[in-house]
Amino acid sequence: MGERKVIKTTCKGCHGGCGVLATVEDGVIVHIEGNPEAPTLGTMCSKGLSSIQHVNHPDRLLYPLKRTGERGEGKWQRISWDEALDTIEQKMKDSIAKHGPSSIAVSQGTGRGYNEYTHRFARSIGTANIITPGYICHSPRLGLYGLVTGYGRLYCDYHGWGGEYPKTQISWAKQLEISSADGEMAVWFLNSLKHVKNLIVVDPRETALSSRATLWLQIRPGTDAALALAMINVIISEGLIDKEFIEKWTYGFDKLAERVKEYTPEKAAEITWLKAEDIKKAARLFAIDTPGCIQIGSSLERQANCGQTLRAIICLLGVTGNIERPGSMISWVPPDTGQREDFFTEIPITDEMRKGIVGSDQYKMGAARTAHSDTVIKQLLNGNSVIKVWFSVGGQQILHLANTKEVMEALKNLEFLVHVDQFMGPMAEIADIVLPAAHWLEIDDIFDMHPRFMIEAHNRVVDPPGEAWQDSKIFNEVGKRLAPKYWFENVEKMLDYQLKKGNMTWKDFSKKVVHARMGKDQIYYKYKTDYWRKGGGFPTPTGKMELYSTVLENLGYDPLPHFQEPGESPVSTPELAKEYPLILTTGYRQPFYFLSQYRNIPWLRSFQKDPVMQIHPDTAKECGIEDGDWAWIESPRGKIKQKARLFPGILPGVVMATANCFYPESPGPLHGLLKSNPNVLTSNNHCDPMYGSPDLTCLLCKVYKAEDDKEE
Amino acid sequence: MRWGMVVDLSKCVRCYACLAACRIEHFLPMGINWPRLVALETGGDSPTVSTYSVRCNQCKDAPCVEVCPTGATTRREDGVVTVDQDKCVGCRYCVVACPYQNRTFLSKDKDQGFFPGRVVTDFEKAGKKLYKHQIGTTEKCNFCAERIDAGLAKGLKPGIDREATPACVNTCPARALTFGDLDDPNSEVSRLIREKKGFQLHPEYNTDPSVYFIDGKIGQSDEPKVDDKADKEPEAIGVGE
Repeated sequence: MGERKVIKTTCKGCHGGCGVLATVEDGVIVHIEGNPEAPTLGTMCSKGLSSIQHVNHPDRLLYPLKRTGERGEGKWQRISWDEALDTIEQKMKDSIAKHGPSSIAVSQGTGRGYNEYTHRFARSIGTANIITPGYICHSPRLGLYGLVTGYGRLYCDYHGWGGEYPKTQISWAKQLEISSADGEMAVWFLNSLKHVKNLIVVDPRETALSSRATLWLQIRPGTDAALALAMINVIISEGLIDKEFIEKWTYGFDKLAERVKEYTPEKAAEITWLKAEDIKKAARLFAIDTPGCIQIGSSLERQANCGQTLRAIICLLGVTGNIERPGSMISWVPPDTGQREDFFTEIPITDEMRKGIVGSDQYKMGAARTAHSDTVIKQLLNGNSVIKVWFSVGGQQILHLANTKEVMEALKNLEFLVHVDQFMGPMAEIADIVLPAAHWLEIDDIFDMHPRFMIEAHNRVVDPPGEAWQDSKIFNEVGKRLAPKYWFENVEKMLDYQLKKGNMTWKDFSKKVVHARMGKDQIYYKYKTDYWRKGGGFPTPTGKMELYSTVLENLGYDPLPHFQEPGESPVSTPELAKEYPLILTTGYRQPFYFLSQYRNIPWLRSFQKDPVMQIHPDTAKECGIEDGDWAWIESPRGKIKQKARLFPGILPGVVMATANCFYPESPGPLHGLLKSNPNVLTSNNHCDPMYGSPDLTCLLCKVYKAEDDKEE
Repeated sequence: MRWGMVVDLSKCVRCYACLAACRIEHFLPMGINWPRLVALETGGDSPTVSTYSVRCNQCKDAPCVEVCPTGATTRREDGVVTVDQDKCVGCRYCVVACPYQNRTFLSKDKDQGFFPGRVVTDFEKAGKKLYKHQIGTTEKCNFCAERIDAGLAKGLKPGIDREATPACVNTCPARALTFGDLDDPNSEVSRLIREKKGFQLHPEYNTDPSVYFIDGKIGQSDEPKVDDKADKEPEAIGVGE
């Protein structure tokens, strides 16, 4: 036996955060397991564990490539990093000279510890046209929580550090236990269920937890605001409010009380397809058995009424006093290394940058510091695109944006597209230059978990294959060429810089692995102290938690939450519903895939080969579909095939399609992009007024049997 | 001493981590799983979604032991049923005899590698050296007997000390799996079976499995709650269960 060593690192198989012990023998990873000393107590999921097959995958991109044929033709030539970087530098400089820095877009996939680099890079070269999936995942929450806490983060206190666990938990459009995100949070959430008195699950589908919950609200997709407003109605009319908190610390309660009068449980029952009695029961449980918390899922942010839905839920937290109290919703104080965002907010967005943000005139909350993706696509289609050069690092916008066919057409109109990835997927295939990226087992970097009370180290376990680089190095090297004053001699110096507030170097932190503010070091009830405001209060214009939002009022939005029907529904578009009678939601996730990733990892693919859509047996019968059949799902935008799974736990009349799927093994350039990807069906025409989020999880469709699984 | 496992159906969220951990722990060939997940999804008035994380039950009266003509399958004194790959002749009587279908015959087509016809990865090469799989023999879960034995030799306690505990139990993010000594009334497994009405799968087969299942509502846990210690809030009146 040769040299054997165990390296402590941090998983990034999803958003990441689970502590890892990786055993390396003669330079080969022979074992991975959870690190029992980490806050995740030695647990790991199938995605993280299967990283062993990921690092060894024969399809990994090894060298920079440049396109030699037509875009999407699949003809590539290996080039050196120098040539790649020279070309990128020149294209960006030309575009800046000709069209200004806003002509460059920088895009990323989901926020998983490299947001700091995408944002810093963009800002450093003078553009705020950052394209992220944030507006359909997490950003609306951050922005609207920001109207309460300033910092923009409120998380469920699953930890009991303040002496109490949540007594009532609402899991709202969320399966934190499996939803392929925030792995580290799932462990704490599941642990907190030992202490919960009431668990309320809001979901059109039965889950393992809803089967065993105190109350399961099987809601019609897209109507969540009506439920939240009716719960507030019940809480106010039955006198179950937290009087002291409301009187002392909130603004606009009377106006909110007036607004929710119209949302009686009976009216909400009609809208949501729930029972009025269940709505009342949920309201009482949440208001009486406090403290409580609400775990929101991003399905709510994939709806064109998401801003007001989230506002309604925040007001529900407000009237019950479930803010900053142990066991409720907390804005965690980061460790002494500071907020991870400091690394890019230290480069402010100038007025000129702001003016250049695509979509900023329309979506004042969502497109304030990032671009509105769907407007970028529309402009590219219409020939009036601000964006000319697109630097895409991870993530595949071609897959996750609404209306895939339009997105494909639009991307062809770019002058120059660079994509950084580990594999040749649909986004890489249409790029001009493709750069090879490293895996989390191959990088030295800082992991920032979503709730931000700790940072963790990704320590390099093995070297990247070929000439693959870690994302931070790619940004640093391109950054040095275009905006040298903001970039660093090397990655280690850049990591040192990010840790300097904590008086640590990368080498110190790398050994420490976890740097956290947990337990007694956390601060609850910040509004009762000088933390946000001298003499107490919230960091808002009125100094109170604004149930009536003066900020939204000034931006021209409704300052009080309201319910709006989805853009397509049996109620809003009854004529369309005659042809497309079923409700389509596209949020189905499997615990062994992460967004568009991992369908090429044999261990993970073995758990479910084909994308599955769930449908109630009664509905399936009406559509002539049996369990295991391939079925067409058709909307006004197009049609796809998925395999039908008859599931008695789903609301009849609702179709739940697997999200973000393509077939890595199918030939390029599309890799089966149009066969099963539900964004072929989704629309980018109807967007949330604040955030620009399109309806992805509440649309109309029809379903019928497909003869086979062949791609059309 | 009789090693056993308790699977909590109210905690399992069907994440597949147990399968993945086992594949790594035993360098399983691509076509083999020792544990499996069996889904139960019912409708009606009280619909249920459950996932049974199943594996070899390490039965006390194991039909596989009885039918094995070569003595390859034996039951150890600690209750673990093992297969000696050197003695197994691949007759597959045991595959048929196991009423739980928890045994797999390792045929050549089940060992095609991670990326057939393309590359043998470094991990697979290492696996060939570190863990023996014999094509033409039968395989199944062994409760990570290697970990149990090595752990006990170091004075560690299986089910309590991680090093001596099965890999699937260690990795489970939901903490749905508990391991320990069924003969010890004070062990956690015995307590769970006693207090949460543990049941075995298909007791009518009379094999006396060492894997038990428990279930229950969330929110009515009888474990001590931090909340109970803290003072104050008025109890709910007229609502809740």
